[in-house]
Order: sequence, then C-alpha cells, then structure tokens
Amino acid sequence: LCRGGLAERLCRLQNRERSAISFWRHQCISDDKIPSDKSGVLIVKILEIFEECTIQVAICQQLEQSPAALSPEDALINAEEPILKVLFTRETAAHLKSRPQDVIHIYPPWQKLLLQNSDVPVIMNTYFSQKVLLSEHSEAREKTYGLTKMLIKKNIISLAQTFRLDDLDDKLHQESSDNQVPCAPQTHNNSGSKQHPSALSAVNDSLLEMVESQGAVGWREVQVRVVIQRVYCLPAREGHRSHTQGNKPLLSNGGMFCRLCLLVQDAYGMFSEVQLQFLSSTDDIEQYCRRWEGKSYCLAGMKILQRTTRGRALGLFSLIDSLWPPVVPVKVPGQSQDSEMMTTNLPPPSFCYILTVQSGEIHVEVDEEEQISNLYQPPAVHGLKEILGINGCNERCSFWAQVLYRRLQSKHSVPVDQREMLLFVTDSTLQNVVHGIPKVVAVSVTASCVLSMEVTEALSAGSPLVFFKDALWGNGRIICVERTVLLLQKPLLCSAAGADLSELTGPVRLDELDSTTQANSICALRGTVVGVNESTAFSWPTCNRCGNGKLELCPQDRELLYCNQCSEVVTTPVLKMQLEVFLSCPSRSQSTVKVKVWHEMTLFVLLTMLLFLQTYEVQSVLGKEVGLLNCYVHSVTSHPNCVVLEEIVLL
Amino acid sequence: MDGSTLPAVAEELLREIKKAFQETSQGIDIFSSRLKFIFGPSAVPALDLVDQRSVTRLRAPSGRTLYQVLGSSGKLYTCYSSCHFCTCPAFGFSVLQKSESLLCKHILAVYLSRAMGACQELAVSEEQLTNILLAEEEDEG
Repeated sequence: LCRGGLAERLCRLQNRERSAISFWRHQCISDDKIPSDKSGVLIVKILEIFEECTIQVAICQQLEQSPAALSPEDALINAEEPILKVLFTRETAAHLKSRPQDVIHIYPPWQKLLLQNSDVPVIMNTYFSQKVLLSEHSEAREKTYGLTKMLIKKNIISLAQTFRLDDLDDKLHQESSDNQVPCAPQTHNNSGSKQHPSALSAVNDSLLEMVESQGAVGWREVQVRVVIQRVYCLPAREGHRSHTQGNKPLLSNGGMFCRLCLLVQDAYGMFSEVQLQFLSSTDDIEQYCRRWEGKSYCLAGMKILQRTTRGRALGLFSLIDSLWPPVVPVKVPGQSQDSEMMTTNLPPPSFCYILTVQSGEIHVEVDEEEQISNLYQPPAVHGLKEILGINGCNERCSFWAQVLYRRLQSKHSVPVDQREMLLFVTDSTLQNVVHGIPKVVAVSVTASCVLSMEVTEALSAGSPLVFFKDALWGNGRIICVERTVLLLQKPLLCSAAGADLSELTGPVRLDELDSTTQANSICALRGTVVGVNESTAFSWPTCNRCGNGKLELCPQDRELLYCNQCSEVVTTPVLKMQLEVFLSCPSRSQSTVKVKVWHEMTLFVLLTMLLFLQTYEVQSVLGKEVGLLNCYVHSVTSHPNCVVLEEIVLL
Repeated sequence: MDGSTLPAVAEELLREIKKAFQETSQGIDIFSSRLKFIFGPSAVPALDLVDQRSVTRLRAPSGRTLYQVLGSSGKLYTCYSSCHFCTCPAFGFSVLQKSESLLCKHILAVYLSRAMGACQELAVSEEQLTNILLAEEEDEG
C-alpha cells in the first residue's frame, strides 16, 4: 500500500473499528444487558428483510421509546412512525439473526444517508447492533427460531445499473449520459451545453472553424452552409451488422447495402465527405444525384468520424482533385473578405474531414427549388478517344458509352450484382476512327463501385447507354471504383462537349483479330476451319424454360429430365454443345487460333447437325469458311503462338 | 418494497465522495468507513489502485469510452463504461456467479478515480478500442 495514501488510511481506520466491534460484541454477550448509555441509540423494529449482495437490507420502523414498556398486544404497526432502511453486513446479520417483528438497538457510531430520489433514509455502519428480547416467551421462541432457517429474499442487481456521478438537472442527459460522464470533477462542459433543439445559432460558412471549435462531440446547434458537389453511395462496412441479416451486407430483396454520401465544399474551398443514411441498391440512387448535386445545403447535427489525408484516402482525393481549382474564387481564412482577397490560386487540399450523422437517421432536406450554386463543378464529359489520350494517373473522368458486352468474374459464390465485372464499351469517337486506337475499350467495375438495381438489370439485357460519372483512369485502364456512379439518365448539367457523342451512327464494329490483339479484350474474326478438337467436344441438354444446364434424371421416370429450378419435368430440352475449332485467320496468319464455340450460331449449326446424326465427319467441316465471329480473347501466348478465344454474343 | 436499495446507496456515497473531494480534496476520510461498510473487502484495494493512479480512461473519436485498470499483479483489466463489467476473475466469481458483490475492486477504483479526478486520459483510435475489446474475448475463450 502507498504510504500516506487513501488505502493506508482506510486500513488503519478499519483496524481500529474492527477491534472496537469485537470488543463491543464481547461485552454484549458477557453482560447480556442493554448498556445504560442510551444517547444516540437508534431503536428500530424490523418489518421486512431482504438481501442484496452480502448486505442485508431491513425495512424498519423507528421506535421512539424502548418497546419494553409496550405490551406485546400493543405492538401493532403504527403508520405514523417513520420508516427506515437499515443495512447490515453479513457478519452483523449472522450475529443478529433478525426476523420481522424483532426489535433492534443500533448503537453509535451509525451513519445516516439520504438518497436523491427517495424519502426513506438509509442507516449504515450498523456494526454495533443488538437484538432486544422483549420477554421470556420471546426468548424461548428465539431458541426455536434459531433452529429453523429463515428464507430471505435475495435481490439480484442488474449489471446495467451503473452509477451516475453528475447532478441530474437535465433529463436529456440521462438518456445518453452513460458514456459521457467526465471524470475530472472540475469540467462542467457536458452539463453546461444543454440541448436546445430549436435555438440554432447563425449559419456559418466555414467547415474548418466548426470542426476545430466543437471537437468530437458534435455540432448540434451549429449550421454550416455548403455546396453539394457530388452524391454517391459507398458500400456499407462490416461494422453495421445490426442492420443486416446474417453477416453479409445483403438484403433479402437481393440489393446491396450501401451508404448515401455527399462530397460537400464550403465557401473557403474546403471539402468534406458526409455520410448519410443507409440505402439498398434497389433504392433509386440516381434520383438523389439528380436532385441534390449542385445545390446549397446547411449541415447540422453532424459528428466528426475521421480526419483523413491525401496519402490515406487516394480515392477520395482523386475526386477532390478533379474539382480543383474551384470555378469561382473562394474565401481565404483569417482575412477580411474583400473581393481582391478571394482567390482560386490555392494549393489542392491535403486533408479532409469525414462527417457522419450524429444519431439515428437524418433526412437531408435539400431545397430543390434552390438555384444551382456558382461553386458547383459538374462532371466534365469527354469522348473515350480523348480519355485514352490523358497522360496522368488516377484521374477522374466522366463519359457516355454504349455497353457491348459484360464479362463477370468467375466466382460463383458471390451474387451477380456484386461481382467484379468487365464492361466492353464504345462511343462514336472510337467507332468513327479508321485505325490507331481501339474501337472498343474495357472498363473494369470493381466490387466497391455500388451499382443500382436499375443499372445492373440494364447491363444484363440490351445494349444500354450508360453515363460513367467520375470513373478512374490510370495505367491505360478505366476502372469504376468507390465514388464512381453509373447512371442511365442524362444528368441535368454537364459540359456540353459530350452531348452528341453517345449517338452511334451505324452498327457497332469490333476490332479484327490481329497481331496487336491482347488478352481480356473482344474482337471479331473470320477464317477457315482447319481442325476440330474432338476430345473437348460435348453436348448437354438444357431446360427450354429457364436455360438451366444442370438437368437431372426424374426420380419417378428415369427416361425423363427434370429441372430443379423450374421444379418441373423438361419435355423438350434444348441441346447445347461446346466445341473447340481451330481456324486459320488471314489477319493473324502466324498464330494458331482456337475458338470455343458454344452458342447456336453459324459454325455451330453445321456441326450440331453432324454430331446429332452421329455421322461425325470432321472432314466435311474442314475448309469451311467462318464469317465474322465476335469473340472474347481468353489468352494470347507467343510460344507457342496461340490465341484462345470464346465466341460471344453482344448485348 | 420492490426495487433495489444497494445501488442507490452506493451511488449516493460515490457522489458525496466526489462532492467532498471537490470542496476539500481531503474530505475522503469521512467516507472511508462508509465505503468499507458498503463495499467490504474491495474498498481498501480499490483505494490503493486510486492511490497508484492505475485507472486510465480510453476514448475513441466516436465518443466511445473504456476503462483500463492496472491490477496489482501487473495485469491490465478492462472495465466497460455502459454497464458493470470487468475482465478480472474476481468479477466473474463474486459478481456474476455468486452475486456477492456489486462491483469488483477495479470497477470501484474506476468510480473512485472518476469522483476524485484521478483518471488518466488516453485518446485512442476506433481500431485500437475494438482490438482491446476483442482481445478480451479471446482471452476468455
């Protein structure tokens, strides 16, 4: 124990008390008489007893005078007499063996404690207590009672019942104060800043000032005026399990769980990412973009989640960089705001605060009647040809494009709308060029780019025209990551350059297979059949209703096929076949070209008939011309010089 | 009478200690014996922990707090802010299993440190706080 410390002092005190108690008890037993000194003695009659932890709590009636003067018949509860709660330690209780109706004398130094919300005083430090026996009858009764064990009710105390050390003068604090009690008694900040939901102070225009003055607790009363530069959805993190079923951020309607976010900018040019309510990808994310982008909004009730820097949040800062420098002059902090002082010549931001809703859900109320702010920078739309020519890395770019083909990553455990995918897109700037640049470009969509249900459906059927907002260009590739938004409808405001680029004037043309063709691209080819890979040829029946390729034999009738997706017998299955053919292509004459054919198309139809009729004669197929076939390039190798492709159907 | 008595008594006691400490920073002696009466054998060890400034309050940017108490054996125990919970074995035994005490000495030390302004303060990241909580789970398991 520390010398001179509180513990040591209590120890010494305790030792003194202990000897006094044992001495006193000794005296009681030997004398068996009520000590003559009656001053300060508390006389109580026990009405009820229960136990809490090891303390015995006795609800008692305080008696004015010694009950020896009263006859047992008069010992009725007098409602006028004050009620007390007397606490006894386990040791004292064992010594007393008290029961209801017993009278106890409590000798000083007992202590009285008054509780906040209760009228009943509590008596403690009742070490020096003695039971008083009223008469000879009771003595005998006592001896019999002593043999039978009395059952005392035990109250179990909840662990959730914590102690509040502050004064509770504000009811609002009670609800949320459990985690917020300050430990140093001198700080009164929490009790001082009461909540005044109606009294909002003047609207401020600096995010930084608000953040620095309010600290991490949040700004309830303060409003900051900002411009909404971008609206997007971020995938919800693991931590929000309470909102999801099981451990996956998936909802029962098949949507993906995400969080609506805003990238806002204040009058000083400072940015902040604001995380709002949770959404599902089945919600109409597009409407938030359309209605909110470019408008002014007053931020209130926000809390600081994080302060992040350029090095730690490359994605966020690539978006911020695309909005820098500001289109109108911004204020300079700390200086009087003469118009000469405002500038656009500032270095790009190096840090950004991420804010979140203070508690519960917040519903952003953007006044849609409001004018678009001057500070708003709509996405700059370019043609794909221009984008491919950009020199930088990690540049955000926006463009319109026609999606020709979608290739999903092959993990089947992940649902369709959350897999990474490759979209092959084109626009008129690529289609109309003779040579030098590819006609079709691959856009990679990562799992962190949230796609709305609408967009996902459009991508699986038809050849949709999609607006890619704030995609990332770098290392010769376009990728859609967090904060990229894919839209089907034209945003209201874009720089007009991209207005007509989306219209394609003729049928889509793919690049033809040649020496520059790379893996993971699409191309068209023509050639002559020079061989068939007989070992990999096979056919299988599929359900004519749903296309399920895994049909089973019917348990009742082994001659029939059963589709367990439709839960019905398949009477007219569609036969699908897979075949690899070797072609000689004049456009890439040095290579062996192997094409996996598995759609009911040109070449395939020929071979189907042959195989079906069991007159499989490769000879009859050799030399046949194969017309323009659209393919996906699986791999290109130089030793051996081989290109492996797969026939595809464009959207 | 329904409802419990002991927690209200303990709470009042701690508030009085806090008030007394604010006023005199010495008035603790008056309450020592009361502490002993209510908290029994935990009182002296808890005060000892306070003397040694063993209680630290960890705070994450989200506002979530946690207490860590350096026990006499040198082991660090974690106490929650929102309910009475401590990772020490005595808590599991006396409080949870036997309901013999309201608190263990570590939780009492946390309250006393708060009342007397003897908490050390430490700002941590969300991740660090989570790791501390999860580490405790692993130990139990």
